[in-house]
Amino acid sequence: MSLVVVMSSFDLREEDMSPDPANKFVLDPHSAAFAANPYDVYAAMRAMDAPYYWEEADTWMLTKMADVEAVALNKTMLRNNEAFITEADRKAQQRAINFHDMPFHERYVQVNLLESEGETHDRLRKVVFREFTPAMIARQRDAIQTFVDGLLDELSEQDEIDFVSDFAAHVPGHIIGRVLGVPDEDAPRLRHWSEEVVRFFDPGRDDADKARAELATKEFYEYLLNLLADREAAPQEDLLSRLIARRDAGQLSQDELISTAMLILMAGHGSTIDVLGSGMHALLRYPAEHQKLRDDGTLMKTAVQEMFRFESPLPYFHRFATDDTEVGGRMFPAGTRFGLLYGAANRDPARFENPDVFDVGRTPNRHMAFGGGGHFCLGNHLARLDMDVIFTTINARFSDIVLTETEVAYKRGLSVRGPQALRIEWKRA
Amino acid sequence: MIKLTFVQADGSRIEAEASPGTSLMQAAVNAGVDAIAAECGGACACGTCHCVLPQEWFERVAAPEADEVDMLEFVIDPQPTSRLSCQVVVTKEMQGMEVNVPDTQV
Repeated sequence: MSLVVVMSSFDLREEDMSPDPANKFVLDPHSAAFAANPYDVYAAMRAMDAPYYWEEADTWMLTKMADVEAVALNKTMLRNNEAFITEADRKAQQRAINFHDMPFHERYVQVNLLESEGETHDRLRKVVFREFTPAMIARQRDAIQTFVDGLLDELSEQDEIDFVSDFAAHVPGHIIGRVLGVPDEDAPRLRHWSEEVVRFFDPGRDDADKARAELATKEFYEYLLNLLADREAAPQEDLLSRLIARRDAGQLSQDELISTAMLILMAGHGSTIDVLGSGMHALLRYPAEHQKLRDDGTLMKTAVQEMFRFESPLPYFHRFATDDTEVGGRMFPAGTRFGLLYGAANRDPARFENPDVFDVGRTPNRHMAFGGGGHFCLGNHLARLDMDVIFTTINARFSDIVLTETEVAYKRGLSVRGPQALRIEWKRA
Repeated sequence: MIKLTFVQADGSRIEAEASPGTSLMQAAVNAGVDAIAAECGGACACGTCHCVLPQEWFERVAAPEADEVDMLEFVIDPQPTSRLSCQVVVTKEMQGMEVNVPDTQV
């Protein structure tokens, strides 16, 4: 989910790094080299005896599946460190990452289900969980199919497209908007707001980005208020109408309703675009695997799982220890910040045979691309259904799909993974 | 070690061993019961480690907590003796228990 960086934006500061001599290299996740291949870096970190200390972010980076899993499942490891810092420290921290002086963003983006713990988290998660179960999500299949068919109709006249910007970027936001209850014609605005807010988490953000993120949050908020008023007057079969009923039953506040609606959109929008792009890229890099999938469509479920494992779109989250804890064979004091490199854990040879091989039939495939523990991705079934429909449809409608560029540049940074663009040629089958 | 048997939807049986205090889900995963997806890793947060206990065993196992009961509402085809295996702690009284595993979790 794209909001991973709300409390973890220390990793986005560009500062001088003084490497710990014990570390065999300097982690530079903003470099082109890291974007080109983070997996060699992860492997080098995994080969160390103990977790790698990333001084720039004062964070212990975990790359082994066993360590990542243990921390994600440990109930004393929390997303935020509010339990052991003062309000003044929290404010200072917020200022340090330039998350202050933006009232709408602070109120509806910086505080939400993902960033909460304990009673608030459990209560909000329970309210929303029922909306994202396999049975609820399966109801969207026909709508996804119709939307994807229409989009491909428009694109099928073109022999060459950017799969990311011309196709993938249009799908998830539209479908999530539908789930929420946003009219189809407003979906592009929703996407715009989501992208404006999320862009503020990027490295190198400036005050202009900050102003745009704040404006987008404000506009999104005002739009939701209007839509909520409509739904209050005439409830529909949609998520917003059901959230209103739950708000009126005292299960969540108005602010929580707004921030949850925003989170649902932002969590699944960019990350699904990224994994659609990297999934398509993997099929094109490994044509024998693509052919296997074309020959046997029943492999689609395992293929989609493998796309998430192979290039996990949200490769990095963090937790704070609230107790002294042993991790990876070392004791760490309360307050320690851990980096959970899901993207690295998902390539751990201790868990996966031939982890660097893309295998559309991989079973079992117990990856952690959706995280683990209490914050396990709520939208996972929707993301997988989007991908299932999309790749099934593309395989049926297009033959001879090829990359037109040998080098595919991936986004830079630790917290995202996906191609910036994916130029392809395709022929109608 | 406690001996357990996971009976899969096609009738095939997978024998497993587990230490008391570990979870039934962990025993299934360790024994290679692929149908126990357990995607959240055992936090009662995903509903993908659903299993069904025989009536006589269901009655002898500690009752589910409220969180698990809530989550069981959302599994595919819940039964009166359904459990989330991540929330069932293996005890020495479970020696020889059979556990039925549905063919799909999602």
